[in-house]
Amino acid sequence: MPLSPSELSRYHRHIALPELGKAGQERLKRARVLVIGAGGLGSPAALYLAAAGAGTIGLVDFDRVELSNLQRQVLFDGAALGRLKTEAARERLLALNPDISVAAHTLTLRADNVLDVLRGYDLVLDGTDRLATRYLVNDACVLLGKPLVSAAIHRFEGHAMTYLPGSGPCYRCLFPAAEEGVVASCAEAGVLGVLPGVLGTIQATEAVKILTGIGEPLVGRLLTYDALELRFVELPVTRRADCAVCGDHPSITAPRDSGEVCEPATASQVRRLAAAALHELLAVEETRAGLILVDVREPHEFATGHLDGARNIPLADLERRLGELAAQRTPVFLCRSGRRSLTACALALSRGIEAPAHLEGGLLAWAAEVDPQFEVAAG
Amino acid sequence: MSCTVRIPSPLRSYTAGASMVAAEGGSVAQVLASLERRFAGIRFRMIDEQSRIRPHIRLYVNTTEVTALSQAVATGDIVHVICALSGG
Repeated sequence: MPLSPSELSRYHRHIALPELGKAGQERLKRARVLVIGAGGLGSPAALYLAAAGAGTIGLVDFDRVELSNLQRQVLFDGAALGRLKTEAARERLLALNPDISVAAHTLTLRADNVLDVLRGYDLVLDGTDRLATRYLVNDACVLLGKPLVSAAIHRFEGHAMTYLPGSGPCYRCLFPAAEEGVVASCAEAGVLGVLPGVLGTIQATEAVKILTGIGEPLVGRLLTYDALELRFVELPVTRRADCAVCGDHPSITAPRDSGEVCEPATASQVRRLAAAALHELLAVEETRAGLILVDVREPHEFATGHLDGARNIPLADLERRLGELAAQRTPVFLCRSGRRSLTACALALSRGIEAPAHLEGGLLAWAAEVDPQFEVAAG
Repeated sequence: MSCTVRIPSPLRSYTAGASMVAAEGGSVAQVLASLERRFAGIRFRMIDEQSRIRPHIRLYVNTTEVTALSQAVATGDIVHVICALSGG
């Protein structure tokens, strides 16, 4: 696939690098890269890949652009508010480089579609904000033999690592399992806006290196970055022989949905209280006495503002402290958005607590519908 | 023996935001017990009821992965606590 005169000019600084050269740039032009999540990580990664001349870029996201995204998601501007991220991003990338093609996959990756979406690409960049998707994408990459460049962020800290099937560990070797809710998301904990800029460009760097066959990939080395200390640390990670997907005797041989906050069977046993309904229950002394409010957020979130009478048991401590809940009272789990509280309900049910309740929409809903003065910590 | 423990972002609510804290002990188990005495509740975020390292946590002594809590820690060592991050 020869480069046009315009492309030779556009990519001159790449072609001037002997390690990359014209042949490397032609390889980039032929390359098909899938970016999962057009968010904080996906934004800089996709922009640099487009600028670098990656011939086909796929974008997976189901969300729309919100004002709170613009603090870090540099693909978007004010004019994109309310638009589908995939469509707004596609326009932005093509404006940057009209010589590439951009495919929008406006969907949620699931076990029944992940292989079809990934199959058309040479390399995958994972910048999702859902743990379940991280495992799903990892498993699909192992099963399809696709290279995966992964990164994740939280507050001021980031991780990056590259997984090459058949060479080194996979994401499940790094973390065999993780539960949604136990590991806080950026929405709950906050994130320094420039942090994903650092990690996303590392992902793009890895992608360019792997696609052009230069340098040493970040395989078997977990790179951690602490923005507050401006410190990078590299730690070795080895393949696990007992890994569920890339191990010697894998138990995962097809993609599967996992890590959902609450399985359907569990969800049906949870009493979901709207903010107004909880407010009514708390207003009557008799019903209030039958409830125990359990705020499962982190202590610093609890300190910013909490409902009267609520006790703080962070989700990660809940399993150990379930005994503190009086058997004759119905626990009502509370958190910021309703996600951790639903996980708390599932845990309570699994330990024999009947009909736990949670505040649907979390304390954000409480602030929006019941008490506008109530301050909800960002995390 | 005194070492330094690097605390991951999701657990810094236990250490008043500190990313590096001093701890005592000649083994990983002792270092974690020392941490727990200063920052109640932090050990359970890393270690389950069966004294296993939780699957979303990795521990290192310097650059050696911890596979058993009996692993030795020497004066001046850095114990890294790595926690899975989910943000994107």
